[in-house]
Amino acid sequence: MTASSSSTPGSLGRSAAALRPRRRTASRRRREVLSAYLFLAPGFVVFATIILYPIVRAFQISLYQWSLVPGTASKWLGLHNYGRAIHDPLFWRGLENAAFYMALTVPAQIVLGMAVAVLLDARIPGRGFFRAVYYIPVVTSWVVVSLLFRYLFITEGGFVNSELHLHVNWLGQRWTAMLVLGFLGIWKGIGWSMVIFLGALQSVPAELKEAAAVDGAKAWARFRAVSLPAMRPVIAFVTILLVIGGFNVFISVYLITQGGPLQETQVLLTYMYQEAFSYLDFGYGSALAFILTLIVFVLALVQLRLFRRPSEARA
Amino acid sequence: MRLRRLTILLVVGVVVAITATAAAARINSARGTTTITFWDAYSTGGPEVQHLEKVVIPAFEKSHPGIVVKDVTIPYDSLHQKLVTAVAGGQLPDLVRSDIIWVPELANLGVLAPLDKVMPSFKTMSKAVFPGPLATNYWKGHYYGLPLDTNTRIWLYNPAALQAIGASAPPANFSQLQSMSAQAKAKGYDLYAESGTSCWNLCPWIWSNGGSITNKTYTQATGFLNGPKAVAAIQMLVNLYKAGEMPGIIVDSNAGLGTYDGINQNKYVGMLDGPWALSIFASAYKKTQLAASLVPAGPGGSVSVVGGEDIVMTKASKHQQAAEEFMQYMLGTYAQTQMARAGQMPVIKTSSKWLTKIHPYYATYLKQIATAKPRTPTPKWTQIDQVITTDVAKAFTGSESVQQALTEAATQIDSLLK
Repeated sequence: MTASSSSTPGSLGRSAAALRPRRRTASRRRREVLSAYLFLAPGFVVFATIILYPIVRAFQISLYQWSLVPGTASKWLGLHNYGRAIHDPLFWRGLENAAFYMALTVPAQIVLGMAVAVLLDARIPGRGFFRAVYYIPVVTSWVVVSLLFRYLFITEGGFVNSELHLHVNWLGQRWTAMLVLGFLGIWKGIGWSMVIFLGALQSVPAELKEAAAVDGAKAWARFRAVSLPAMRPVIAFVTILLVIGGFNVFISVYLITQGGPLQETQVLLTYMYQEAFSYLDFGYGSALAFILTLIVFVLALVQLRLFRRPSEARA
Repeated sequence: MRLRRLTILLVVGVVVAITATAAAARINSARGTTTITFWDAYSTGGPEVQHLEKVVIPAFEKSHPGIVVKDVTIPYDSLHQKLVTAVAGGQLPDLVRSDIIWVPELANLGVLAPLDKVMPSFKTMSKAVFPGPLATNYWKGHYYGLPLDTNTRIWLYNPAALQAIGASAPPANFSQLQSMSAQAKAKGYDLYAESGTSCWNLCPWIWSNGGSITNKTYTQATGFLNGPKAVAAIQMLVNLYKAGEMPGIIVDSNAGLGTYDGINQNKYVGMLDGPWALSIFASAYKKTQLAASLVPAGPGGSVSVVGGEDIVMTKASKHQQAAEEFMQYMLGTYAQTQMARAGQMPVIKTSSKWLTKIHPYYATYLKQIATAKPRTPTPKWTQIDQVITTDVAKAFTGSESVQQALTEAATQIDSLLK
């Protein structure tokens, strides 16, 4: 339009002719953009319905003393439930326990998962069998393995104490119980990280490894200088997901210790569940859930920043 | 073209489905069939569900043509959560067999029908049941249910183990409990195994010692839960625990064998438990024949805790008349007798005449329930019970004295009762 308004009458016909293909291009581009949005729409609707809406709704509930019965009035509390959490020792204990679980299980799953992946990437006999064996815990039900671990670590007559001739009250004290829960998390999670790392190892270009070998690099040096840098995005992905999973630990705690004894092994989610579903305090339960969401979100952002390549960081 | 044909087919399909459903509903309505939904947590492991679904409900449907009962059995641990979810979603059934401790909570949420207002037969029915279990349905001036079954805890023991520790009779009072516990320990047994520190577990000892949890109007715990009699009762158990005369499962369920396994494996002599334990032992632990006696008496007598379930009607029920008929039937002699055969202790007054003919052990339960007390009727009971569980456990682990632990618990309970 700016071009035509500045044109002389004599040049109008030429300008209009020049604009026609440009308009056609713009209209085609609009159609393409529209198609893209149409393709995105179903996914976005699902995301908005099952992710965004619950988050917004949880935040809304957290601002009230929420009445469970539809159609009845809830009492507005503003940020009171968040203030209550800050002064609640059980909230901090749940946070500490979840952080301990995360700190214990994430590095172990990454290191052991990577080690097993490297071993099972090599051409060894029975490789397929071992890959399946390491993956079995991942597909086994949490309920089954949690109850199994509970029986393994029962003080009187439990398998571990009986076999090792010990008398440790594994599940009756905070930190030993958290160790058992962490051990279960590691045992069950190694197979998952192994499979992801195995896929990443197989996609490292063979010629890079060969070139390094030609240059005299030994196995460890090849892994450190070639494979690891190539796997950086995958390691970031695994770490972020494991950290989120670590903070969201629930089933094993709920089934093995129920947050006890003396609420010593509560983690954020079991505490939230207790407040919401046992005490019907959905306002406070939602505030705890929202705080957990914020913590996980911030941690994910920090990790994304930490895992950025130096070149990306400069950009 | 193809898309248009598909759309037409889809529309025709939907129309046919809607018409068929409506027609089916009309046929049902013309035949006068009303379906009522009944949620319960009867045990699937024993004979309870089988009796209910194979005997009791079919007999009702036969005698009440036009009413169909849809029974939904939910594990006890999941029923509360399912009820909460159903309240939030407005999807409650017509009738619920609710644990007595949930009735005030559900009534307070406003989802239960006040039976004394909406049910014409309530007055007659309430007169036919024991007053103790009936009282568990009372909340803020109205009755929100009727008792369906009742129970209490009595002393159940393995006679062979009792003989093995050199005793001829179970402990009848507190001093015998203490002396026999030491005697049992010397023989490698635990006389008394308890699986927790909640009110269900420990209130019988507090009440039997003459103590209480709150004042009579349920508004204050300080001065009662931490009063000298309650403290002395818990102190007696703490002393037994610290002397190694009670198994660690009282504080930590993972510390050792559960009560049933421990008794069956000849490690524990006795426990306090309800009538279902006898049915379970009869079917799952056949080698052990349990015997029954009253809770060991203290200065306040032998006082146990009232348990059981109430049948409640929801406000959401669209078939209140049919639901009322089913409630009447469930409190009739036939249904109460049938469920008693499955281990459910009846609530109708006339049952005392025939109950012991079904199982002799009911005699001890009937005697015990005459003095048993209910837990505090409040919507906050779950929280209060958690406070008792956590704080009393501190006294057992030694992190606090009994007096400190109970005072801390009483202070928290005071604020929950406000």
